[in-house]
Amino acid sequence: MATFIGIGFSKDYDQHKAARDAAFYAKTNLAKDRIDFAIIFCTVHYDTKIIFPVINQVLGNTKTVGCSTAGIILSDSVQTRGISVLAYTSDEVKSGTGFFKDITPENTQEAGFNFAKNTVADFGRHARQLMFFMVNSHLKNPLLFLKSMQEVLGSVFPIVGAGSCDDFQFTKSYEIYQNQAIKNSATGLLLGGHVAVGIGGHHGWRPLGKPHIIHKTTGNIINTIDGKKAVSLYENYFEEESAELLSTKLGQTVIFYPLGIYSAESNEYLLRNATQILPDGSIVCQGAIPQGVKVHLMIGNKDSCKYAAEEAARDAKNNLGPKEAKLVLVISSMARLKLLGRNAYQEIKRVRNVFGEHVPIFGMYSNGEICPFKTRTSIHRPHLQNESIVVVALS
Amino acid sequence: MEIITANIWYFVGSFVFIIIGVLVFLYIGKDEQVKELTTLVEKLKKSFNDLDEQAKLIVKTDLELNKAQEELDKRLNGLDALQNTSQLISTSLNENEIFAKLDQTFLMDIGFEKTLILQYDKNKALYDRSEIGFTPKEKAAILDHLRNDSELIKLLENGKTISSENSTKLQKDTIIRTFNVMHYIFNPIMTTDGMVGLIFVGNSAATSSITEGDEELISILATQIAQALDNARLFEEVYRSRQALESKVQSRTIELKSALDEVKNISKTKSEFISAVSHELRTPLTSIKGYASILMAGKLGEVPENVKLRLAKINTHSDNLVNLINELLDISRIESGRVEMKFNQCDISRMIENVHDLLTPQLKDKKINWVTDIAPDVPTLLLDSSHYERVFINLISNAIKFTPEDGTISISASLKDDMVTVCVSDTGIGISEQDIKRLFDEFYRVENKINQNVKGTGLGLALAKKIVEAHKGRIWITSEIGKGTTFHFTIPA
Repeated sequence: MATFIGIGFSKDYDQHKAARDAAFYAKTNLAKDRIDFAIIFCTVHYDTKIIFPVINQVLGNTKTVGCSTAGIILSDSVQTRGISVLAYTSDEVKSGTGFFKDITPENTQEAGFNFAKNTVADFGRHARQLMFFMVNSHLKNPLLFLKSMQEVLGSVFPIVGAGSCDDFQFTKSYEIYQNQAIKNSATGLLLGGHVAVGIGGHHGWRPLGKPHIIHKTTGNIINTIDGKKAVSLYENYFEEESAELLSTKLGQTVIFYPLGIYSAESNEYLLRNATQILPDGSIVCQGAIPQGVKVHLMIGNKDSCKYAAEEAARDAKNNLGPKEAKLVLVISSMARLKLLGRNAYQEIKRVRNVFGEHVPIFGMYSNGEICPFKTRTSIHRPHLQNESIVVVALS
Repeated sequence: MEIITANIWYFVGSFVFIIIGVLVFLYIGKDEQVKELTTLVEKLKKSFNDLDEQAKLIVKTDLELNKAQEELDKRLNGLDALQNTSQLISTSLNENEIFAKLDQTFLMDIGFEKTLILQYDKNKALYDRSEIGFTPKEKAAILDHLRNDSELIKLLENGKTISSENSTKLQKDTIIRTFNVMHYIFNPIMTTDGMVGLIFVGNSAATSSITEGDEELISILATQIAQALDNARLFEEVYRSRQALESKVQSRTIELKSALDEVKNISKTKSEFISAVSHELRTPLTSIKGYASILMAGKLGEVPENVKLRLAKINTHSDNLVNLINELLDISRIESGRVEMKFNQCDISRMIENVHDLLTPQLKDKKINWVTDIAPDVPTLLLDSSHYERVFINLISNAIKFTPEDGTISISASLKDDMVTVCVSDTGIGISEQDIKRLFDEFYRVENKINQNVKGTGLGLALAKKIVEAHKGRIWITSEIGKGTTFHFTIPA
């Protein structure tokens, strides 16, 4: 009765070699013939048509899930180029994978529901502990997707989600299922059986300036704030630089300054990134913001990021209970990667310090994170967040 | 009743009046509260607005910091890559090795999406040495473009860096189209021989514009590559020169060895010849001298005086000839190793005294002062005494010959580092530098008045040298014209 984990990574420029090495090291480090599932994170520098057949050849017909990312998180480093493969096998832990492709704004609800059902069907009739899924960050309404997943899994079931992303160009992200890269899809993994799960998530962003009232919204689109077109909020704060920042570097700039909604339930601010500015000055957000709520422009720095990472790790460890962590999954926002720059590993080091050097860390940078955030009550409902770090400890 | 009614009205009126008064009072108080609250709201609004103004400043500072941080990170990454490359290529002294080290991992680390390093071949055509981000088809199109864009190449050959920030619109449009990038830098690789290649870096994302830092980074990289190429070329030249030199030295060594062998052969032949001839000469000379002596003694009858005089000359010349032959024979024997040295412990002071005794008549004739200074720590030495006496005799005889009357001859001996150095000094006429060089050559005689009057074989010093060297010592001369000469020689202690 044991769990085995093998992690492989390569950043070789030769695509064949990178794919082969990453898969081969994962398999070698696993030191087992059977692989229950594999998680693949890959930066967008690699041609998926070249690398996945190679990975498939090495791993055999293993169930694989994963997605493209802005950076790969490993125990001892953060890499902004490369392919990472986690191979997992266990006699105690049950797993099932699921997939849904061609998600559109029109079928989001149905997609979430069917995706969860597919995953549950593959998982079988065991005790469920954690749903980990990756969805395309261009999905217009991920909250709707989450809600429909919850119709299958339950509203308080621990769900951890990550928005696939790329090298900050916001155009090339994809999801991975059974060694295929597919856009506009969702892929995930349901874990259960004799495994304890501890989850922690924090962002470390703080409110800045006066509160603003969300005046009018349409789903995840904010039309007006304080009675003015929504974009004027950013124009007001960015002043003379707003024209350039909002036109050319929207994604890269606004992720540093999301909108924060105070949640009395969690005593935290729920963060929402602006992903698009519409011609009429409306802002498109990753998640819906209720009409009439007060929002703040939020700001973070390196120290607050590192502190939040440590807090998330501590929460995950505490939520794991008395059991020892065998694997730590980390989903960190690409905004944090951008903000921390060369010091990106510093926040992972904080996580490592909490769990100890012997526990392998595997993760990715995402565009949008879903996890059960800390609440004052014992009920931890999954929420969509931005700019956050989610730490998942598996026993 | 009227009074009652009047009183009632009075009370009602008073009550109403009081009520109105109270109401008026309350109204006035509330208004003040409202005014206070309104003031507070205004203050709060102002605080919020102040807070927002501060927030704007914070955002502005934060934006600047983020921008600076991004630039700094990029530069640090680039500098890291440069440092690593510098270490790698500075140790390479081969052109191919240098470019092999500028591999794709390095190109990735310098932080551009597309990088191309080109070099001129022998025909001055550019070819790619290292690249990332280009397909073979794109590369071919780029090389083709560069072959035809003489204006761009000319600018680069003049050492100019061309980037998307300083290109003309037409140039920029062409480059963007050909290289499939939005922002770019061209930097020439300039060695001491001029441009030998170029570096191209570019980003296809509109947001990844070129900064001054990028230009500096690529310029440093190009300089480093150029320096490494210069070093490699210099090393190649030095290596080739050394090879040529070594080859020359080898061939000269062979020539010299062959010449030396020849000289040795000639010398051996000469020695054998001298030995043979000397033997052949000595026998008849002995007869000549013997018969001359018989004739002079009158054993074959009285000889007239003038004949006696001639016979005495025959005798003297025969003696000279015998001496000459003996010295020649000694030299040839020592040279050929045929002479067997009979080493025994000798007291050098005693040897010098013996020689002094032998030469006292000549010293007295010229009233020459004799000074000896033998250091007390000079030990007894392992010498062939009969040969070494000849060294002293030759050197002191020479000194007597060239020292004027009332001059001084000094003999000193000292011990240093297991070697005894003996100096024979005179206050004679001295020897020129030119003559010193040839003084130990056989038959060499310095041309001066004394030598013209005094006969000599020209073999004394050559023989002395051979004897000193046969004892593993060394002999040399110091001299000053008009002041005197010193012969120094060493004997192992």
